[in-house]
Amino acid sequence: MLAGMSADSQQDFALAFLSILYEGAPFILLGTLISGFIDVYLPAGTMDRFLPKNKYLAVMMAGLLGAVFPVCECAVVPVIRRLVKKGLPVSCALTYMLAAPIVNPITALSTWKAFQGQGAEMMTCSRLLLGYLIAVAVGFVVLRLPMRAVLRGKLVDSIEKDAAKKASAAQAEHEHSGCGGHESPHHHPPAVPDSGQRLVAAFRSAMKDFVDVGIYFTIGVSITALFNTGIAPGAEWLDTLAKNQVAAPAALMALAFILSLCSTSDAFIAATLDKFSWGAKLAFLTFGPMMDVKLLFLYQSVLNKRFIIALALGLFISIGAISIFWQALVFRAL
Amino acid sequence: MKPHFRRMLQALAVMIWGGAILYFYGSGRINHYLATDFRPIAFAGGLGLMVLGLFNLLTATQEVGCGHDHSGEDEAAHDHEAGDMHPLTAFILMVLPLVLSIAWTKDKYSVSALTRKGLYETPKNLITPFLASSMPKLTLEEIENTHCRTEDGFLQFNLMELFFATGDRELQTLIDGLKIETEGRWMTERVRNPNGSRMRLYRLFMTCCAADSQAIPVILEFGTTPPDFPDNSWVKVSGTMRFPLEEGELHPLIMVEQAIAAEPPFEESFMRK
Repeated sequence: MLAGMSADSQQDFALAFLSILYEGAPFILLGTLISGFIDVYLPAGTMDRFLPKNKYLAVMMAGLLGAVFPVCECAVVPVIRRLVKKGLPVSCALTYMLAAPIVNPITALSTWKAFQGQGAEMMTCSRLLLGYLIAVAVGFVVLRLPMRAVLRGKLVDSIEKDAAKKASAAQAEHEHSGCGGHESPHHHPPAVPDSGQRLVAAFRSAMKDFVDVGIYFTIGVSITALFNTGIAPGAEWLDTLAKNQVAAPAALMALAFILSLCSTSDAFIAATLDKFSWGAKLAFLTFGPMMDVKLLFLYQSVLNKRFIIALALGLFISIGAISIFWQALVFRAL
Repeated sequence: MKPHFRRMLQALAVMIWGGAILYFYGSGRINHYLATDFRPIAFAGGLGLMVLGLFNLLTATQEVGCGHDHSGEDEAAHDHEAGDMHPLTAFILMVLPLVLSIAWTKDKYSVSALTRKGLYETPKNLITPFLASSMPKLTLEEIENTHCRTEDGFLQFNLMELFFATGDRELQTLIDGLKIETEGRWMTERVRNPNGSRMRLYRLFMTCCAADSQAIPVILEFGTTPPDFPDNSWVKVSGTMRFPLEEGELHPLIMVEQAIAAEPPFEESFMRK
């Protein structure tokens, strides 16, 4: 499609594409550097220590952990997979998974910067609040579900197998005190690399995350630039939906699903959708980091398919409804 | 693909992104793409990307562990470097649109994109009752005190003020009939111009980046054949400000007395501050 464009269209696409890319790239870099260093330097059990014993309070606290451990939605899935296997309650893990990409300082900063001159403070606060509330609500629902209704069968099997191993290892601990000279059922702690090696590992992890996010960001920016400059077929049709109170948030949530943008940079794209209301943009900014095409695949490494479908529908309806309400109640008064 | 080749390819892609940002910043072309306060952020990002890419390129062949407990996990589940797709596909997807865009860009929009960005639109009523009630009352004296007057007696106005006055009844009443001077880009008038006596003057209002920029236009009425300036060239006009009702909508219009070619300003766009 890009190659078949007229010279004017190429010029317009290039200007819009480069401007969004240059605007968003530093924020992606910041996010991936932090997630890379968390990946290598943060021990897996650190998060458990932050959570209270009460399961409802624990879910509510899990929704805020992104402020301390900021991870974008791509990085969060492997993290929670590891955490669930290490015994973090599924409700807390899912709450953290949905909230962390939104309720974190990098996303807050990028949203605030992107919406300068367009009610930045209100949009940032609304996004963080809605993201948090939705994630906690999902956590409360998951609290009432059996693990097999939420997680992949293989993962549940693996967790149960690990639990059994741990129990037998604990039993074995009573029977011997050393591990030299015989095969032991418990495993040794991993060899800790020196600080230089860790730094290399952290930068590698950051670069890998940057490339993973950069690919989706490039695709998203390309599609946005095509719509933004009216080159894409359907751009006019999308504009006509912008004025519809119900169709506008639905259309932008569908767009967020397709674009699969990173939460650290999606605000820069939302801010350019100038024909749409703030409520519709809020729906875009809340739904996208929780459910999109790439997450659909990533979630399958942790969650079972029926739960993913239910989660997608639930998020679509609840975020859409709240955004419409928010637009009528809060944004319109400004 | 061998891990160190994959790392090199990723590092190269990251460095190309960083290099592109630094080139646009260094050449000053970034001014056409980003608003003022985003430029140093882009510069820092460009430098950061170069450092990240270079560090990983130089250490690409080094084998390191991650320090995590891998017990009970299969290799694929704990690979810190395996990406979502083949490294070469990832490289092409990251770099090709960037390279094509750098080759295609002319640092400005075509008329069709400008039209989509509001070149021929009418300002809407922008002042809500809440906002109006919270703002102090404006007087003509205040307007005269806050705007410079030319030797010929024209008050110098920012084009954006003239445009947005159309949606602000109080400001509009005060400005209507004033002798004003403003500057902007020259453009052919394509609507409501049966006598061919009108042109259009516009500037781009950029909030964060060029993609969110909006064209801010006013109509120029010459009463006769307008002078001949190239489209998009910078022109300074002076005349009387009017807000005629046409086709049921108010439009900002200058009854032009003089139009002369002008030097492009330091900043292409209006900035937030």
